[in-house]
Amino acid sequence: MINFNMILIASFLFPLLSGVLLFAIKEQADRKVTFAYTGLSLVITGVLNMILLFADSAEVKLITLMNGIDIVFRLDTLGKYFMGIVSLVWILAGFFSYTYMKHEKNEKRYFAYYLIVFGVLNGLGAAGNLITMYAFYEFMTLSSFPLVLHNQKKESVMAALKYLFYSFFGAYMALFGLFFMCRYCRTLDFIPGGVIDQVAMSGHETLVLVCICLMIMGFSVKAGMFPLHAWLPAAHPVAPAPASAALSGIIVKGGVLAILRVIFYIAGPEIIRGTFIQYLLLTLSLVTVFMGSMLAYREKVLKKRLAYSTVSQLSYILFGIALLNPAGLTGSLLHMAAHAFIKCALFLSAGAIIFNTGCTRVDELRGIGKKMPGVIWGYTIVSLGLIGIPPTGGFISKWYLASGALSSGIKGFSYAGPIVLLISALLTAGYLLPVTINGFFPGDDYDYENHKTIKTSFYMIMPIIVLAILSVLIGMFPNGLTEFIGSITGEIFNTGF
Amino acid sequence: MIIYLLPITVLFPILASVLIPVVPIKSRRGITWFIEAIVIVNSILVWYLLWGSPDQSFTLFKFTGNLSVTFHIDGMATVFAGLVSFLWPLATFYSFEYMKHEEHERVFFMFYTMTYGVTLGIAMSSNIFSMYFFYELLTIVTTPLVIHTLKKEAVDAARKYIYYSMGGAAFAFIGMVFIILYGTTADFTYGGVLAGGTFARNINVLYLIYVFSFMGFGVKAAIWPVCGWLPKAGVAPTPVTALLHAVAVVKSGAFAVMRLTYYCFGADLLRGSWAQYTVMAFSIFTIVYGCSMAVKERHLKRRLAYSTVSNLSYILFGVTIMTPLGLVGALAHLVAHAFMKITSFFCAGAIMYKTGRNYVYELDGFGRKMPKTFAIFTVSAFALMGVPGLAGFISKYNLAIAAVYSDNVLAYIGVGALLCSAILTAIYMFTIIIRAFFPRDDFDYETIKDVEDPNYIMILPLTIFVIVIFILGLHPQPLLDMFVKIAVGNL
Repeated sequence: MINFNMILIASFLFPLLSGVLLFAIKEQADRKVTFAYTGLSLVITGVLNMILLFADSAEVKLITLMNGIDIVFRLDTLGKYFMGIVSLVWILAGFFSYTYMKHEKNEKRYFAYYLIVFGVLNGLGAAGNLITMYAFYEFMTLSSFPLVLHNQKKESVMAALKYLFYSFFGAYMALFGLFFMCRYCRTLDFIPGGVIDQVAMSGHETLVLVCICLMIMGFSVKAGMFPLHAWLPAAHPVAPAPASAALSGIIVKGGVLAILRVIFYIAGPEIIRGTFIQYLLLTLSLVTVFMGSMLAYREKVLKKRLAYSTVSQLSYILFGIALLNPAGLTGSLLHMAAHAFIKCALFLSAGAIIFNTGCTRVDELRGIGKKMPGVIWGYTIVSLGLIGIPPTGGFISKWYLASGALSSGIKGFSYAGPIVLLISALLTAGYLLPVTINGFFPGDDYDYENHKTIKTSFYMIMPIIVLAILSVLIGMFPNGLTEFIGSITGEIFNTGF
Repeated sequence: MIIYLLPITVLFPILASVLIPVVPIKSRRGITWFIEAIVIVNSILVWYLLWGSPDQSFTLFKFTGNLSVTFHIDGMATVFAGLVSFLWPLATFYSFEYMKHEEHERVFFMFYTMTYGVTLGIAMSSNIFSMYFFYELLTIVTTPLVIHTLKKEAVDAARKYIYYSMGGAAFAFIGMVFIILYGTTADFTYGGVLAGGTFARNINVLYLIYVFSFMGFGVKAAIWPVCGWLPKAGVAPTPVTALLHAVAVVKSGAFAVMRLTYYCFGADLLRGSWAQYTVMAFSIFTIVYGCSMAVKERHLKRRLAYSTVSNLSYILFGVTIMTPLGLVGALAHLVAHAFMKITSFFCAGAIMYKTGRNYVYELDGFGRKMPKTFAIFTVSAFALMGVPGLAGFISKYNLAIAAVYSDNVLAYIGVGALLCSAILTAIYMFTIIIRAFFPRDDFDYETIKDVEDPNYIMILPLTIFVIVIFILGLHPQPLLDMFVKIAVGNL
């Protein structure tokens, strides 16, 4: 009999401690030792997370901070889903780091923080109540900023500060709501369908709604929603590529997870439906979808373009959440996974290009497909996924999102939503595919004389290909995943009040 | 006879410290042992006293009528005296290293130790007159500490300190007279000594006098607009700024305000009045004002001093919520802030002592050279920001919850101010931390190759403080239970 509770604790404590331990170890002359240690820790944590996927339930009360504030970890389907995505992306981006980090300094520090953030993310996924989640949300910010400023250039440090202060701003906005939730909730534990105490709330409806709204807006900072998205295009591109991949693929999903928790596990969809919160979230997310794509389309630096694309794609997820119906939520959750894999692969490809050629701007990438065919093939496949061309992952999630919007019956948005999604998909094609097209078809005037194929390291190409395959698999065989997601949406929308 | 310990713990450090300049011990080592012995013996006596916590009170001397200097131990006294007696030996220990470079050490330590007794006097006073007496005395004995370096800057600061404090005391005096004349008793009584009905016609006078005396005692608690002395007084040696201007003196102000509100006027009498809204608005404004000034300030110690201004108003905000929960929050922050701020000040002191650098922008790359100091500083910064798991989160949580349950819209705004201040705290602390640990990539560590951590005399107190910050953050419940008992008048 496996003790799942212990594994639950281990899944976040182990990478955390092994990261801290890495600080204590002397800098190795042979970088393989550091990497072997990191790799082993990553894989062990991944295995722990995989075991947890098969757990029925696990609940651990770690410590009581004070009466009413417990640090509790409880494994539920949403948490499992999140932890599953995290471990896949984190391990693959970790392997990519092995080659990539060769040309950066302070490798040991990078890997240490990389492991610590992994632990914190597992804690975030497994958090069983609002306070625990808030705590790990803060830890996530505090432990991930060293990844952003890793190269310590002026630009990176400034971006890291921007990241920190935006994140704290959001977190404290959420904390404001959290304080009030203590009064108006039956408990702060996450229960599908919400825990608002109707009796306590009567007479204070507006206050409660404002507080819920503040919590959602606060957590949406991490998810890069307009108007507090500005940190994202600054912070993600300056980090080392594997860290950008992890940040853009996963950390932003921490914000999404927090919003999911607030809307479906604390407030409850019925409280929010039809109120200004829903309309605000719908409007802002659609604005962000369009604006992000537009900005990405205009941006010339590849990594920045990808960061803007994250801004846009994240709001697809938020849009689906704001629809407050099972189809929309299914689309959101699918897109969470699809976007995590795709964006990670895109950033890794950008990293591989920078590492091997030093090119950062899109217009420098003519003929890149001839030089690095493996990487650009991977890039192309996931790009198609992000645009939403069947049978890739993006298609199925966008299909759910659109059908959720159409069936929601919310005036205006049920049509406006799919239209904006469609326009944004076109823009996505517009900003992603030029790399492929110019890469493979550089045109007549391309200098074939100086052309030579670059051999990409196995550690670089492998994660990109695996992620590309994963993104296609989601699209081709979505049934397993939708069934799993069905169990999440089922418990949220059926239990109700 | 434990009851005699009441005056002894107050008078012993005052009288013994007079010996410090004249005692015939030649070696520096000897004199430090002598001072440390006084402080530790007194702290042990205080703990013994608090443990026994006698019910009777002890009258030291009587002036006339019901004006008497009387000591008594109740819950509030236990908290403040316990806090002070815990911090003093450690701070004194730290000072031995810090004061090495400074002149006329013995005079410094004389006044430093004397302040210990006076602060205990404030903590253990059983009526408003004794408290006022020791409050004035505190101003007098701490002025030489501010003036210590005898530079023009220090003299100016001391002058400002005196004017502000004395002026504040004059306002507080009005309140004192009022309480003594109209109160049913001059002793501190939970729930207040003014029977509301008597003042039905002149209730606004009562409110006005409350506001006056709040602002009067608030001078020491550095409430805006009378907070200017605190950042200025940062010219004093670090042990003074750390212990007196982050704990003993300023917390005496906050403590006096608590006594005034809950034990003299009575929270029930004031709740919902314009007086409450006025003082609460002042404290909310100060919360934001202090933090904003801290962000602007580039001198490390002055930045921390502005941070103190803001944090003291957290305590005052808790007091002005005027519910038992508010008092719990205020007491929690009184204790938590003491540890957090003394820690960050001592780190700043360690930096100044080792390198003589005072400004934030001079601290590039120090994280690698002074790893212990900066690790500790980082913990204190996180605690001040309110990262869960550390002391600051617990106290802010309690303050905010008190505000949420108060049904007072201004208090809701106060919660917003707390969080606004938290983000500003993040800004002024993180700019230091990032600079120290992650300097620009072209930074040359050769330029600071002589920088190193201080020795154990400085590190040991810091380590103990950090452990306390963690304990207060992870297991504060026993302490909070005690605060709840105090706040409902059971202790």
